[in-house]
Amino acid sequence: MQTAALRVFCHWSQSNSTAMIRQCLKCRALTLQQSSRAYGVIPPPRDSEEKEMVHRMLRVDHAGEYGANRIYAGQMAVLGRSKTGPFIQEMWDQEKKHLEKFNEMLAENRVRPTALLPFWNIAGFVLGASSALLGKEGAMACTVAVEESITEHYNNQIRTLMEKDPERYTELLQVIKEFRDDEMEHHDTGLEHDAENVPGYWLLKNAIQLGCKAAIYVSQRI
Amino acid sequence: MAALLRGLRAGRALRGLSSVVAAPTTTNPQCGSLRQGFHCAVLRLQDESKSDKPPSSTSSSTTYHEHYQAHSAEQDAAASASDPAADQSTNPNASYQDQSGEQDEEYETEEQLQARILTAALEFVPLHGWSMEAIAAGAESLGLSSASTGMFEKGSGDLVLHFIAQCNAQLTEILAEQHNQVQLGQAEPKKTADFIRDAVETRLRMYIPYIETWPQAMSLLLLPHNIPDSLKHLSTLMDDIWYYAGDRSTDMNWYTKRAALTGIYNTTELVMIQDSSPDFQDTWTFLDNRIQDVVNMATTAKQVQSTGEAVVQGLMGAAVTLKNLTGLNQRR
Repeated sequence: MQTAALRVFCHWSQSNSTAMIRQCLKCRALTLQQSSRAYGVIPPPRDSEEKEMVHRMLRVDHAGEYGANRIYAGQMAVLGRSKTGPFIQEMWDQEKKHLEKFNEMLAENRVRPTALLPFWNIAGFVLGASSALLGKEGAMACTVAVEESITEHYNNQIRTLMEKDPERYTELLQVIKEFRDDEMEHHDTGLEHDAENVPGYWLLKNAIQLGCKAAIYVSQRI
Repeated sequence: MAALLRGLRAGRALRGLSSVVAAPTTTNPQCGSLRQGFHCAVLRLQDESKSDKPPSSTSSSTTYHEHYQAHSAEQDAAASASDPAADQSTNPNASYQDQSGEQDEEYETEEQLQARILTAALEFVPLHGWSMEAIAAGAESLGLSSASTGMFEKGSGDLVLHFIAQCNAQLTEILAEQHNQVQLGQAEPKKTADFIRDAVETRLRMYIPYIETWPQAMSLLLLPHNIPDSLKHLSTLMDDIWYYAGDRSTDMNWYTKRAALTGIYNTTELVMIQDSSPDFQDTWTFLDNRIQDVVNMATTAKQVQSTGEAVVQGLMGAAVTLKNLTGLNQRR
C-alpha cells in the first residue's frame, strides 16, 4: 500500500526538483527489484508434453494480464479525471507489474506469445472504455466480472500444478498464488465501490465472464 | 562397414598425398596441428577435386562439421569448434557407444537405427538423388538389408527431413557456441543484421554439397505428407536464429520478425539453387540486399509511428486550444 501511494505520488508530481526525481527513482527501483526475479521460476521441462503444458499456461496468463492492462487503460481514458481515477490507477499499476513479470517469463522460456494479442488490445480497451461510459458503477462491475474470471482461472491452474507435482513447480505456484491474491483484492475493491448498483448488473457480469472464458479458451490454443 | 569406408578414405589419401605434399599448409588455415594432418589431407583432396562429394561420415554430424568448415573460413567460432570435432572424428565409433551407453553395441532404438541409415544414405544422394535407392544404398553400406527401406513411411521425404534436422542441429550448435563466446567476453557481439546474415549464410552453405539435387529435395518437402514436418523444422530454425540474435519480444514483433526472416531465408534458398557464380557470391549479395530491405522497412515503420504520434499530439493541442477559445473547457 505504501509503495502504491509512493508510485501515485511520483506519477502525479513529475516536477523538476532533483530530490523528487531521486525519490521517484528509488521507488521505481524498489518495484523493479521485486518484479525482475524471473530467473529460475520454471523448471526445465522433462519432455515435450510438459513443455507444451507449461507454455500454454504461460501464454494464456500473459494474454490475460495484457487484456486486463488494456481494460484498465480503457477505464482510465474515460474515468481518469473523476474521483475513482486513483483507485483504477492503482489497480492498473498492479496489472502492469503482473504483465512485466509474465513478459520476463515468456522471454526466458522462449514461449510464443498468443497471436491474438492485437485483438485483445482493441477488445480490452473497448470493454474498459464502454463499461466506464456506464459510469463508475459500470466500470466497477466490469472489474468485478473480469477479476472473478481471472481468479477462477488462476485457481484452476494452481489445482492443475498441485495435482501434477507441487514441489517441482514451487516458484511458479508462488507467482500464480501472489497474482491470484492481487486479483481477488481488485475484485473486492470493485465490490466496495458500488459495482452491484449498476442497472443490469447480473446481465453485464455474466456477459463479460462468458467473454473472458472464451478468451481464455482461445488464447491457450492460438 | 566403418572400417571399409576408412580404408577407402586412406587409399584416396595415400594416392593424393603426393600431389598435396608440394603445398602443405597453404589452402586450409584451420588445420594447423599435426594431429589433424590426416583429416586435412582428406579435406584438401576434397577441395581440390571440386566435386560434389558429400562428407564421408559414419559418425553423423562431427566430420560433416569439419567438411563444412573447409568451405567457409569466415566463421571464427568454427575454428574453436573444429578441435573437439576433430578429436571425436578420429574415433568414429565413439558416438555410437556413447549413444547406447553401457549397453551392447547391438542395442539401439528404432529412431537411432533410422538416423544411422539416413546419415549413411546421404553419401549416395549425389549418385541416386533423394530417393529410396539412396536409402537402400545407405542401408547396404551399413551391412543391413535394403528391405529396411520399408521402415521409412514417407520414403525419400524422410531422408530430406533427416538432413534438414541435422543441418538445423549443427546451426544451433554453432550459434550457441558463438553466444557462449560473447557471454565469456571472448568475442564482440555482432549487430543484429550482421548476425542474421551470417546465420542464414552458414545454414545455406550446408546445402552446397547437395546443391545439384537440392531442387528435387525442395519439391519433396512440398508434398502434402511432408509439409507439417518441414514447416515445423523451418519454424524452429527461425526461432533459434532470432533467439540467438537476441530477440526477446513478447508481442506481435515475435511473429513479424520470424515471418520476415522466413521470407528472406526461402527466397535466398531459391536464388541459391540457380546461382552459378563463384562460391555463390550472387546469393550472398541477394541475402545482404534482402536483409537491408527489412532493416529499412523497420526504420521507416518507426519513423511513420513517431510522425503519427507527433501529428496526434499537434491535433490534441489544437483541439484543447479551440475548446479554451470557445469556453467549453470551463471546470464546474
